[in-house]
Amino acid sequence: MTGRFSREAVIRWAPLLVLIALVILFTAINPQFFSLRNFARITISSAPALMVAVGVTFIILMGSIDLSMEGVISLTAVLFCMAFVRFGGNLAAGGWLAMPLILALGAGIGFVNGLIHVRLRIPSFMASLAMGFVGTGAAVLLTGGDIVKVDDDVFRGLLTYRVLGFPLMVYVAVVFLGLGWFLQTRTTLGRNFYAVGGGEDLAHASGLNVRRVRIAGFTLAGVFYAVAAILQVAKLGQAESVTGANFMFISITSVVVGGVALWGGVGGVWNALVGVLIVNTINNGMVVIGLPDYVQDGMLGLLVIVAVVLSTDRRAAIVVK
Amino acid sequence: MYQLAHVDKKFPGVHALKSVDFQIGRGEIVGLVGENGAGKSTLMKVIYGAYQPDGGQILIDGKTVRFANPRAAMEQGIGMVFQEQSLIANLTVMENIFLGYEQQFVRFGVINWKAMAAAASAQLAKVKLEIDPATITSALSFAQRQLVELAKVLTLEERVQGDLVILLDEPTSVLAEDEVKLLFKLVRELTARASFIFVSHRMDEVMELSDRIYVMKDGAVVDVVARGEKTVEQIQHKMVGRNVDKEYYREQRQIPYDAGRELLRMEGVSLPGRISDISLTLHAGEVLCLVGTEGSGREAILRTIYGMRTPLTGTVTIKGQEITRFTPRNAVERGVGYVPRERKIEGIVAGMNVYENMTLSQMGRHSRAGVLRIGGERALARDWISRLSIKASSELADCGNLSGGNQQKVVLAKWRSGGSDIMLLDHPTRGLDIGAKEDVYDMIRDMSEAGVGIVLVADTLEEAIGLSHSIIVVKDGAIQKRFDCQPGAKPSLYDLLHYMI
Amino acid sequence: MDFQRFKPHLPWITLLVLIALVGVVDDTFLRPANLLSLAGDIVPLFIMALGLTFAIYIGGIDLSAQSMANLITVVASVYLASMGAWVALLCVIVGFGLGMISGYVTTRLLVPSFISTLAVGGVAFSLAQYLSGQRALNMDAMQRDAVFGWMIGKTGMIPNELFIAAGLLAITLFIERRTTLGRALKAVGAGEPAAAASGLNVARYKILAFAISGALAAIAGLLFSVKLSGGAPTIANGFLLPAIVAVLVGGTPLTGGVGGVLNTAIGTLIVAVIRASMLYFDIQATQQQMVFGLVLIGAIALTIDRAKLRIVK
Repeated sequence: MTGRFSREAVIRWAPLLVLIALVILFTAINPQFFSLRNFARITISSAPALMVAVGVTFIILMGSIDLSMEGVISLTAVLFCMAFVRFGGNLAAGGWLAMPLILALGAGIGFVNGLIHVRLRIPSFMASLAMGFVGTGAAVLLTGGDIVKVDDDVFRGLLTYRVLGFPLMVYVAVVFLGLGWFLQTRTTLGRNFYAVGGGEDLAHASGLNVRRVRIAGFTLAGVFYAVAAILQVAKLGQAESVTGANFMFISITSVVVGGVALWGGVGGVWNALVGVLIVNTINNGMVVIGLPDYVQDGMLGLLVIVAVVLSTDRRAAIVVK
Repeated sequence: MYQLAHVDKKFPGVHALKSVDFQIGRGEIVGLVGENGAGKSTLMKVIYGAYQPDGGQILIDGKTVRFANPRAAMEQGIGMVFQEQSLIANLTVMENIFLGYEQQFVRFGVINWKAMAAAASAQLAKVKLEIDPATITSALSFAQRQLVELAKVLTLEERVQGDLVILLDEPTSVLAEDEVKLLFKLVRELTARASFIFVSHRMDEVMELSDRIYVMKDGAVVDVVARGEKTVEQIQHKMVGRNVDKEYYREQRQIPYDAGRELLRMEGVSLPGRISDISLTLHAGEVLCLVGTEGSGREAILRTIYGMRTPLTGTVTIKGQEITRFTPRNAVERGVGYVPRERKIEGIVAGMNVYENMTLSQMGRHSRAGVLRIGGERALARDWISRLSIKASSELADCGNLSGGNQQKVVLAKWRSGGSDIMLLDHPTRGLDIGAKEDVYDMIRDMSEAGVGIVLVADTLEEAIGLSHSIIVVKDGAIQKRFDCQPGAKPSLYDLLHYMI
Repeated sequence: MDFQRFKPHLPWITLLVLIALVGVVDDTFLRPANLLSLAGDIVPLFIMALGLTFAIYIGGIDLSAQSMANLITVVASVYLASMGAWVALLCVIVGFGLGMISGYVTTRLLVPSFISTLAVGGVAFSLAQYLSGQRALNMDAMQRDAVFGWMIGKTGMIPNELFIAAGLLAITLFIERRTTLGRALKAVGAGEPAAAASGLNVARYKILAFAISGALAAIAGLLFSVKLSGGAPTIANGFLLPAIVAVLVGGTPLTGGVGGVLNTAIGTLIVAVIRASMLYFDIQATQQQMVFGLVLIGAIALTIDRAKLRIVK
């Protein structure tokens, strides 16, 4: 049936079309928007957000939600800086050790998050929200409200060293995006996220260990949040207890704008990528075309609604909550 | 081969299975019938490992076994084909078939999709389904999904040494007649490799397919009937424990309708892709049955009358007034009541009590300036609980905890107490046991006598023939034929089937 | 004792246990004057939570509540001079209207409420920045006292804010239990398809729920600006998550149809006691947020009635 095929095709490509339309729109208003420098700027701001979005995509695919990212990023960013300084303060001297350490820590926090959600049977919204408080609280406790700096030119090379006009951190994000895509399409765990999101009780009845899949999902998300934290430190050169601020709403908004359904089972990491780019393009474009800063939040809100309306298949949802 | 000996199962306050003996031989098809609450589903759960018996033994080839969970039972060759929608819609067919058993296709943590697709194709060939295993399941028809379901269970064949026992739980409930025939043919062929336990509410189907039939009542097996040994009536007598009225569909109570009072008229109504050029009339006291296969447009007609869909062309006239705005609110205000097929989803609100459910469609009548008169609501609910003998502890009981039959009575009471005189009934007896079905039939006759016009989509053709004054056969969204169904001059099954397919 | 029957009472039992615990450590906590002022301090949070209850009760969420309150502090500060007492009406209308927009976007454009309310919150934030010129505003103290002074005074030893809270609780409780609106919202939350198939205008009721949420957030903002005698676009930041937590801890789960405004009253008190207890347990400022999170996990684990959640997502 061609009718259905075209509808499915449109839905599949709609987020990308929205992104292209935005690029054309902003370019038409200010041609400077369409430049390598500006695209590099968009991708730099997108890179950490993309890691968060990929992480939370796995959770949302399962029909759950994770609101812990702000706390997790703050905590892992602060600890990363501290560990980095402790291990010698530069990458070559042993600072690199901080990276696997922090990724493992992110996994650990995610694991605890999943454990609380699954074992104590607390809905993920509440469990992860509380875990977010704990994370931010721990970051406050560790820093005492201070800023921890990382002064290492090699590490900051993630931001400063450019290949083909884009800084290294963008390539790092792309590599982890590829990893996310690999997990999603080629591994049992990734496919099991879809099974849980598509029908949890059915998956359970088929002998799937749903609890284990859920905990694994939160653990995986924790790793991606830790990557985001490292990239954010590379971008800012420092960490504090509010490093993770604003990531929660932006990442979830991006994921939904990209076409991942909040009720689970639909979408994937490509949707997260397109969604993050849409949101960051809007943010960047509003600055480039010189919109007064006080209208930007409202404009972002309106454009997000338009993007969701245009780019997602909401007919599939019987009940929109 | 597979045997249950003196199996007992108790729940707090309920003795669900009482010393049940059950056995099935290699290649045998065994039917399992009983009213709702007779213990069928508990027995099935014991068989496929969801419940562990409190007493008695499960024997396979004479050896005692014990299953901790369904997966353990599967490993012993016992598989379950669930009623409907037990495939995960957003996954591909092959993923559904091998869900939970993907490990065999994983090398170094990577899924080999080609190998899985090949293996899935082999399984689909067993059920003679030729589809691409990479199809997303939601794109399949109900009948195809049922076959995929069966193919999924048949993967046990490769995994398990020894014999297979496959439970089919109401496998025909979403299938049309011809699809049922295909399924039965397939099951018979598959007896070369597996034994089947067949559970259904449709007695004729059970009689047709099964070699032996276990009849359950009150948690015990009351009879085991070999093929052709007893009639439907005799088995039903065993199930209910009393004689089922010969006049099952209350035909003796069918009185002519009032042809002078027209309640509803549809003229040339079309919904693209669903129904086209539907014209019909409904009179006071008339039971009008819409007959057709699944997806023939019966439900779309009901939903259009109820205002849940807006037709592209044509007119709907209710009591002389043409409908211009199609909303349920509008229809309800004109006296239309709708008993949906999905009782638990659209019929009742679980979590709300009986009186809240009953007045949900007519809150305006029980309130002044938006403030509810709860005393009045409760009195009304008490009245209808006794009138329809609804088994609920009180009007404060949570509707979600009532049995299916009583939930349906609450839904009917919701509309009747509000004075609806055009009733749209979509599979009103689906999933109900005989006693509850008869109550619904009585209520339909009561409403008919009271001058209510009823548009009915029945669960079976027999039901449609038995209950109706008129039958309209729908196929591919268009009306094929209209029959008059006066008692004594009713069309036969064959007459209807001829126009349906 | 039958645990199932015991479960619905867990929220207020948790509250009493918490109060008793803190009371054992420091008996000054239990002094009526202390408890009353503690209760008085959380009234703006409570009112916001009360509004959120409606959004959550129908299975949605309202993330605009905080921005709404921010906007209203600005609106109240800007227009008090010219409108006098009528500014209160303006505030409620603005809140109700923006809530309706959230509801409209959610129900008619089928955008999940998580996104739609966030977006409307962004609009409210922009409005607040525009109106305030991106700076903090002050009310004229004399005029504030003349018009709204009664809100923050005391009657005997009871803060007047508590009367406002009690009044709003009574009104919302009446709406929830005794009106067709409340019944319809319950039906929508517990079984939206059945509510629609019963002929209810589901979309209209949902829009109303978001509008009520917006109006109550506005009242919270108004009270807040009166208390602080001014307004700013970020003055109420930090209210949203505690308000959501208050609703959830009280026992209104995100799935909708269960719980209600009375639960929220208890939930807000639990949050307030946990926060206040930090002082009595000598927990340092840097540790407070972490401890809050940990205690929260415990409180939620204790209070939610899992029997009513079919699947824990």
